Formats: sequence, structure tokens, C-alpha cells
Amino acid sequence: MTEEPRIGVYVCHCGFNIAGTVDVKKVAEFAKTLPNVVVAKDYVFMCSEPGQDLIKADIKAHNLNRVVVSACSPSLHEITFRTAVSEAGLNKYLLEMANIREHCSWVHHDKEKATEKAKEIVRMAVAKARHLEPLQELEVKAETSALVLGGGVAGMRAALELANYGFNVYLVEKAPTIGGKAALIGYVDPKTKGAEIVSKMFDRVKDCPRIQVLTNAELIQLSGFAGNYIAKVRLNPRYVNEKCTLCGECEEVCPIEVSNEYNFGLNKRKAIFLPFSNAYPPYYAIDYRVCVKCGECEKVCRFGAISLKEEPKVVDLKVGSIIIATGYDPYRPFKGEYGYGLHQNIMTLFQLERLLDPDSPTKGELIVGNKIPKSIAFIQCVGSRNTTPGAKEYCSRMCCTTAINSAVKIKEKYPDMNVYILYKDIMTYGSDETLYEEAGKKLVQFIKFEEKIPKVSITPEGLFIDVFEYTIQENLRIPVDAIVLSIGMLPPRDIEELIAVTRVSCGGEGFVREAHLKLAPVEAPTKGIFLAGCITGPKNILESIRMGSAAAAKAMSLLSKGKLTIEPMIAQVNEEKCSGCAICVGVCPYSAISIKKVNGDRIAYVEKALCMGCGTCNAACPSGAMQHLGFKDIQLLAQTRAVFGGEMNV
Amino acid sequence: MSEKPKVAWYWCASCGGCEESFVDLAERLLKVFEAVDIVFCPVAMDFKREDVEKLPDGSITVALINGGIRLKEHEEMVKLLRKKSKIVIAYGACSAWGGIPGLANLYNLDEALERKYLEVPTIENPKEVLPTKKIIVNIPEAKMKAELELPEPLPVLLPLDKVIDVDYYIPGCPPTPDVFWNALQALLSGNLPPKGAIVGASNRSLCDECSLNETKPEKVLVKEFKRPDKAKPEPNKCLLAQGFLCMGPVTRGGCTALCIKGNMPCTGCFGLLDGIVDYGGKAISYFGSILDYSPVEDKEIKKAFDSIPDWVGTIYKYSLASAKLSHKAGAKKPKRIKEVVEI
Repeated sequence: MTEEPRIGVYVCHCGFNIAGTVDVKKVAEFAKTLPNVVVAKDYVFMCSEPGQDLIKADIKAHNLNRVVVSACSPSLHEITFRTAVSEAGLNKYLLEMANIREHCSWVHHDKEKATEKAKEIVRMAVAKARHLEPLQELEVKAETSALVLGGGVAGMRAALELANYGFNVYLVEKAPTIGGKAALIGYVDPKTKGAEIVSKMFDRVKDCPRIQVLTNAELIQLSGFAGNYIAKVRLNPRYVNEKCTLCGECEEVCPIEVSNEYNFGLNKRKAIFLPFSNAYPPYYAIDYRVCVKCGECEKVCRFGAISLKEEPKVVDLKVGSIIIATGYDPYRPFKGEYGYGLHQNIMTLFQLERLLDPDSPTKGELIVGNKIPKSIAFIQCVGSRNTTPGAKEYCSRMCCTTAINSAVKIKEKYPDMNVYILYKDIMTYGSDETLYEEAGKKLVQFIKFEEKIPKVSITPEGLFIDVFEYTIQENLRIPVDAIVLSIGMLPPRDIEELIAVTRVSCGGEGFVREAHLKLAPVEAPTKGIFLAGCITGPKNILESIRMGSAAAAKAMSLLSKGKLTIEPMIAQVNEEKCSGCAICVGVCPYSAISIKKVNGDRIAYVEKALCMGCGTCNAACPSGAMQHLGFKDIQLLAQTRAVFGGEMNV
Repeated sequence: MSEKPKVAWYWCASCGGCEESFVDLAERLLKVFEAVDIVFCPVAMDFKREDVEKLPDGSITVALINGGIRLKEHEEMVKLLRKKSKIVIAYGACSAWGGIPGLANLYNLDEALERKYLEVPTIENPKEVLPTKKIIVNIPEAKMKAELELPEPLPVLLPLDKVIDVDYYIPGCPPTPDVFWNALQALLSGNLPPKGAIVGASNRSLCDECSLNETKPEKVLVKEFKRPDKAKPEPNKCLLAQGFLCMGPVTRGGCTALCIKGNMPCTGCFGLLDGIVDYGGKAISYFGSILDYSPVEDKEIKKAFDSIPDWVGTIYKYSLASAKLSHKAGAKKPKRIKEVVEI
């Protein structure tokens, strides 16, 4: 911009938030001494209507062409002030925020020094503002269909919400059935099991023409950008089609037997199998990973439902938005952790839940080691809350309620059985507290341990648990017939592949991280990708369902417009300077940069809709050809020089 | 008096390569002599300092100065030339950014002198003679004493523009004859570029003119750094993509990628591009960017970086003296320089 900068500086009191620690009047006076500053004022709440009007009036009265608002974090009110300056006829990117609240008044006590620091922050902002340029937003066309990854409760809920509002949804599930973990285990309320909720959701999904369910399917590549994603999905062969009547004859002749993951290893299943009785789609599937294609099932099937000739297929799905709801894995206790794997009567909570299911090998009877135990103990927090060296720090949220619910159900069925729950803290929060009370009434015995965890001994006389009971401060030795380990949640095993394909980012505990817990919940850092359910960390069934709805709502706000506005603060190539060295291509986390030929020269090309404005290419560019609009080298250098008290001119 | 533009050429701390590049103009030299009068040129002509002092101020059209400013003598001479010249050009990497002699700024002056006159394996100096300001030599045969005055070294080597105002820069170690020729043409045409410009070279990085740029894979990512003395480059394949530390992407083009044509990675003698503040800083940020460790493995990254024994010598080979961190701090007053020594 050749026009001489005319800057207005507005220092906010934010009530006492800033003015309590920073002498705002002094800061405004100081701002007046800075080059190109035409007017500087302070006001009690800049973000209020009169505060904004003050700026608008000054833009007109003083013919301002740059505005510096010295107030809070730009993530809070930048949009407010951008709107204000644009209402006064100024390009909204000619605004610069100087954060003297979060970066200054909130973190200091000494008023004099805090005031000095606030001055420096304003000085930096003015230095940058002198180099600001007007920028224009861009619009691109957007697809109106969505891809939901993961067919558990969160994914199904998201798909149903989207479909109900008229959007087409591809529901992609890796397993041969949708339903996820909640179809197998889990508790919603004392009257409802996870499986019942799932079954109701199945009915809705079945009846919904806008949801296309793709089972045995995996996302293998993702290209494009928000509004215009192309998802490459591999459809692995199921070998069984909709003619299947669930007669089960094929299962009898199948020679391959593997551990049944749908019962968490409680029993075996065949290579051709039905995951669970009301699985959806409601027909058998052949596990393509273990099938040896002997052809026995094909021969025995009377309905022509099996074809071993089926090949894997890859389809390209054009979608505007993606919801990732690929869930979690149960914690895997190591061999010998509380005796796990050393005695057949020591099992996980997931296995117990399956055992109690009417669908189970014992038809729901609690039979371990061929008989009904006289006593059973649950050990809580296995794999959670730092109980053992391999355990995670977090609480897995669902294990307490699920274990107590199982304990109550056991007590109802076998009133004479001794049921113990060994716990660190009981996390039956909210309305689930009634379940805890119910367990007490049913005489489930609660035993609290602290840092010293219980010890399981396997002796010829049977199983024993040694525990220091914390409330009565006494060592106890409890003989039990069966032990249930209440295992927690882990990030899914294939999360690395998910990250590689979708470029979402990982949080500290290995789950996928939301862009911002308060300001951008449910959103992945990449625009157009949303997160639901346990992929972001442990949740119970209801929480997962709600998150599915939330993700769908966010996706809808993107899909409903059919077009997309692109932030102009992104990378821009100076074609006169670019040598096509391609360093930027390799560093871009969003695959937004490629090399193109322009008049015979190799030039880096930025796909604007893909660029998220992270600035990595800008830092890597060896020749200074790649610049980040809104954060150009010249702007940042001016700011840097200002902070060290240097010349304000670059 | 002829009407031809007057040209002065002075040398400071340099190796002689810049003068050589002038000679390499070959038959084009004749055209240069046709076009200009050379009024001062210690390497080839017997003009003295007094001759320059006698010239009226501003009477020299162009002064070309090569080499870094290492001695008091250099400082005095370039200040004199500045006064006498309309245009001053920093010729070559040493003059523009300090060049290879500028790497001595890693040491303070005492350390540098000790290294140069006592420690270097090729030096034999049993009497430990170091430069002094005045040296008195006894000549018994003639029954006389001779006095020699030596110019005093400066505490650090400085690029020309830290000492005097510089109008233009001609890059290279040395500038290639073509670059020099291009610059001369531009200057003699009277169509002068804006002050501070680098003349005669390209505005894009070397990759632009390197024939191997086309052979780059889509993403330039490497697992290790290679050195040409330890590994043999494959022919016709981008050296950087093979892991050789090629400074091409961060270096101004203009040399037509001569070194790379000889299978040697670029070492960066054409220096930084417009808008870049610190050559080595930009170089290290770009090397960091092409290391392919995902997930990040600190040990492997450290191994890759440790495989280069001399990082400063690699990324600041020609520009340490003009870098943001340009010299070793402290020891302003050297102790090893004596006022008088009699031998």
C-alpha cells in the first residue's frame, strides 16, 4: 500500500481485567508518540457497542486506514473488531490486535512493569500495523454430502442427524457390521443396555435412504479440502450377499476357527460368521483375512448367497465434510496383570459383559470354569488412573457404571453370590449415582484401595485377593472364585493410519485432539473434519451419542451453504522469486502445495482452499518467495525489531 | 582528459580470486579498456595512495572493492575511495558478506593470530614471531637498523558495508566473468538499479537455473545428510534429494550452477536473496525442514545433524561476518599485538 499509514490505537480497560494491572491512560498516551499513530484512546469496554462506535467514528473523522485494538486475545474478539472496522468501510484485515490482557494484565501483578510491557506490546502491534495490507476472502463451491467414519453409536447418531436434515451420508465401517462396542457391552441407564440403543438406531439407519452403509470398508486416502474432499475407500470383500437367510449351515462346515473378537476372546468363531445376532447388515460375513477359500461354505449354501470370487474394490466418494468416530480399543492387560491370562476364572469386564449377554456361549448364565462361582470380585481402574506401570493417567469413564451395573444384575440373578468391587474412587457421576446406591442395597461389597493396589494370588486352594482396605485401614485376604478386571479404554490400534490418512493431530494420551476444547470443540484442526465419540478420549455411551449430534451440527453448518469462504491469511507465492526448489511441498502438512510450470519455470502453487495458514512453508522457504499473508516477513520483522526497541522502519 | 568513466579497483582481505575473475573476462577485457579509464588498481598498475588522494572528491565513477576489511589499512583505503567515488561496489563474497576470511570471526583476534602464526600444522615459527605494529630489523652487515610499520589488524573482519556506504553488490566467490560482465553492462548503460541492489545475478535461487531441478521428486525429504568427500553422488539426480547439503535453494542464482555441473553441491557463494535477513539462519531452517522423521525421533535427527562436523563453516561459509551473530564476543583489546619488536 503506497498510502501513508494513519493508525488509530484503542486501549481497552476490560473493566478491571486490564485497567486493574495496567495504566491504560499511560499506554494510550504512549501510543500517540509512535510513528503514524493519528489518534489513541482508552475506553472501559472496547468490545461494547459504544466502544465499537468510537472506533467507527474515528475511522471516518480521522480518515484512519489502520486500526490497533489493544485488548484481549484475538481468538476472543478479533472477529468483533474486524466486523466493526469493515462496517466503517475499512478492509477488515487492516486491524491488528495487541493482546494486553492474557499476555499482560492477567499474568502480572506489578502495575508499573505491566504498564511498560503493555506499551511494548502496543509498540509491536503498531510496527506491524504499518505494514498491513488489505486482503480479500475467497469463495469455493462445496459438496453437500458427508462421510462418517465408524459405525458405532457416535457415528450412527451423526449419520442420522445429517440424514434427517436432508444430507446424504456415507457411513463407513471397518467391521462387517455397524454397531461398534456399544452393541456388545455397556450401560446407558439401569433399564437400558448399550445393545438396545444400538438396535433402535439400526432400525432408523435401515429406514433411511440417505444413509449408505459401507461395511468392511476402510478410508485409504483423503485428498481435497473442506467442502471438496475426495475420500478413497477400499471395500474389502464380504463374499456373502443379501440372499443370506442366516441359516448358519455354512458356519458348521467352515474349517477355520479363530478367536471371537465380538466376545473379546471368550470363545472361538469360524472364518464365516455372524458377528452378533442382530448385526447389520443382517447377513453372514467371511473374514477375508483368515479365509483359505476352501469353498466348503459356497457348496453348502442353498441360497446362492456366497461367492468367493468377490474382489476388493476402491471407490472415490466426493464429500464436503468428514466426521471421524472410529472409537477406542479396550485396554489390553499384560499377562499376569492381576493374574490375567494365568487362570481361566480371571477375565475382563468386557468378557463378563459378553458372558452375561443372552447371546453368549452360556446363554447368559454366569458360568466360569464349568460352574457358577460362589463369589466374584471386580477390580476397578485396570489400565486407568496410573494403577499399574502400563496404565494410562486418565479415567476411562465407563468402567465404574458398567461394573456396578453388572454387579447389580448378578446379585439380582444370584442373590447368594458374594460380589465385591475393589475400587480407587467410584465415578458414578450424575444420575448414575442411583446405580451405586442400588448396588449398596443389593449388598454388593465395596472395598477401597489407594496407592497400594490389590494383589491377586493363584493358589491350589483357589484365588485370593490381598488388599489394604483404606477406609477401615486394615489388610484383607478375600477368597474368590472369579475375578473381573474392569479395563479401561485405549486409543484404537490403527490410530497411526488414521492420522496418516486424515492428518488429524494427536493429543497427549494418544487420542485425537480437538482444535480447541472451548473455542472449537468437536472440530479437528483441519477445516471440514469433525470428531465424535471415544476417538477424542474416553466417554460413556450417552456422551458419545451427544458428541455425534454435535459433530453433525457443525458439519451441517458447513454443508448447508453449498459454498465455502476461505480465510485470506494463507500462503502466497511470489512467482518472480520462486525457483521451484520444492522444499515447501514436503513440509506442508495439508498437501496444499505442488510444483507447476509457469512459462516454462517451475513454480510452487498453493491450493488456496487447502491451505490452513500454518506458516510452515513460509519458514522453510529458503528464498523468501513464500509469504504468509497477514504474517509476511516484513510485518513480523517490524514487530520483532519493535520488541527489541529497534528502528520501526524495516 | 578523456571523457571515459574512471574506475578504481582495490583489494582488501582476499585471495586473489576476484582479480582472477577480471582476467577471465578474456577478450571482453579489451572492450572494458575501451569503455573506461582505470585510475587505481594495485594488482596490476603502479598507482599509489597519494595518486588517489590527489583526485578530486567524487571524480571516480565506480570503485570496485573486493575482500573483507581486516586491517586498519583496508579501512583507511576504502574510506578514501568512498570519498573519491560516485559509486562504490562491493565486489565478491568477501567484500559483500565477509567471505571465507570472515570465518576467523569465530575466534577473537589473539586466538586467530595464534592459530594462524603458531598452531597451524603447515607453519614453522620457532621464534614465535607474530605481526606487530612496528618491527625493527637489525642488519649487522650494514651496521644499520631498518624500521617497518605494519598495518594493525582490526578486532574482527568486517564486510565493506559495515565500514562505508555501499551502493551495489556483485556476488560470488569469485563472481563469474559473466556476472561481472552483466553488472558492468548494467552500470555502464546508465540505467542504475535501486541502491543496495545485487547486480549481475538472478533474483531467484540457484535451483531455477540448475538442470537437476527437474529431477527432484515431488517432496524433497531426506533421512540423512551426505558430504561429497564421504559419498558418491548419483549422476543426473538432484544432489539435495540424494541428501547432499546443497545450498542451491537458499542461494542467489546467476552462476549457471557451475559447481553442480561438476557434481559438487552448491556451497552458497552467491549469498542470500532479497528479503532474507540472515543466510545461515534461513539455511538451517530449511535443512531442518527437509529432514524426514515422522514421527519425530530426536536421536535420529541429532545423528543426522551430528554427521556434519562444521555447521558454521557450512551455512555461513561466505557470510559469517555479516550474520546476526557475526563474531565471537569479548577480548576487544588483543594482547598478542606488540607495539614494537626488535629482531
